[in-house]
Amino acid sequence: MPELPELNPVIHGKLRLALLSLLSGVEEAEFTWLRAKTGSTDGNLGAQLLKLEEAGYVAVEKKFVQRKPQTLYRMTEPGRQALTDYVQALKLLLGAAIDA
Amino acid sequence: MGNIEEQDLKDRLSLIESMIAEGRRTTESWGWTFLLWGVAYYIAIGWSAFGRPAIAWPVTMIAGGVLTGVIGSRIAGRNPETTTGRAMAAIWIGMGISLFILMICLGITGRLELHTAVAIVGAMLGGANATSSIILKWKMQFACAVVWWAAMVAAVFTSDNLAGIIFLVAIFFCQILFGIYGMIAESRRNKVRAGEQGAFHA
Repeated sequence: MPELPELNPVIHGKLRLALLSLLSGVEEAEFTWLRAKTGSTDGNLGAQLLKLEEAGYVAVEKKFVQRKPQTLYRMTEPGRQALTDYVQALKLLLGAAIDA
Repeated sequence: MGNIEEQDLKDRLSLIESMIAEGRRTTESWGWTFLLWGVAYYIAIGWSAFGRPAIAWPVTMIAGGVLTGVIGSRIAGRNPETTTGRAMAAIWIGMGISLFILMICLGITGRLELHTAVAIVGAMLGGANATSSIILKWKMQFACAVVWWAAMVAAVFTSDNLAGIIFLVAIFFCQILFGIYGMIAESRRNKVRAGEQGAFHA
């Protein structure tokens, strides 16, 4: 019987998982859009995005648009790979649970 | 499987699926552009009929382009950029620039006449509407493409007066009515989506 995979703890948090999944469907997204889609608070969202950034899963760009500050997040290639691996691990674990 | 619950894993899988779908959902609004350009065409037609035809079209089209850019950038600032959004912008910007350059050149050389103008506009707008409708899977927009193609064919075979009337009717259906319909549909869609939003915690 093959060894069951470990779930990546950086992605496993529900909000971080939701954020990575959201970012996988767009090229880049603004902080306020992510906040609206997840219904999270500014503080919590900022903290979770920082964890993803520190892991190298998202990249941040700060700029001014029409003199207003804008923080844009986009998923990096390691982030995309990590999410793919996480989904594979989930499927393996679920398969093992069904078999048991 | 340790202490990880099967249901929790299933929930996470469905969370991933729903968030990916949410991110890919097109949130862009296009209805206003159809309405704006419909009004712009009518202004240009009216201005050329009763004023100065040499400057009516170029000035109105440039003003329409600037307005579209300004309003579009304000709306886009709130939404993330998606591949679909960029594809839509590429189609319409490309078509708009081609049409503008061609019409200016035909106007300068004096080779622009009503039959040709309506046929060219019908062909270009028909093509752009058809391409957009296929990408967005929007049947109503494909109906607009069909109307523009019909206008294109009709303009070639009818008199000058009738070609002008066909152009006005096509603008009314494919720009004004379709624009209003699009804005109402987008507003309804956004209300439904706003009601679907939930909160996630770390």
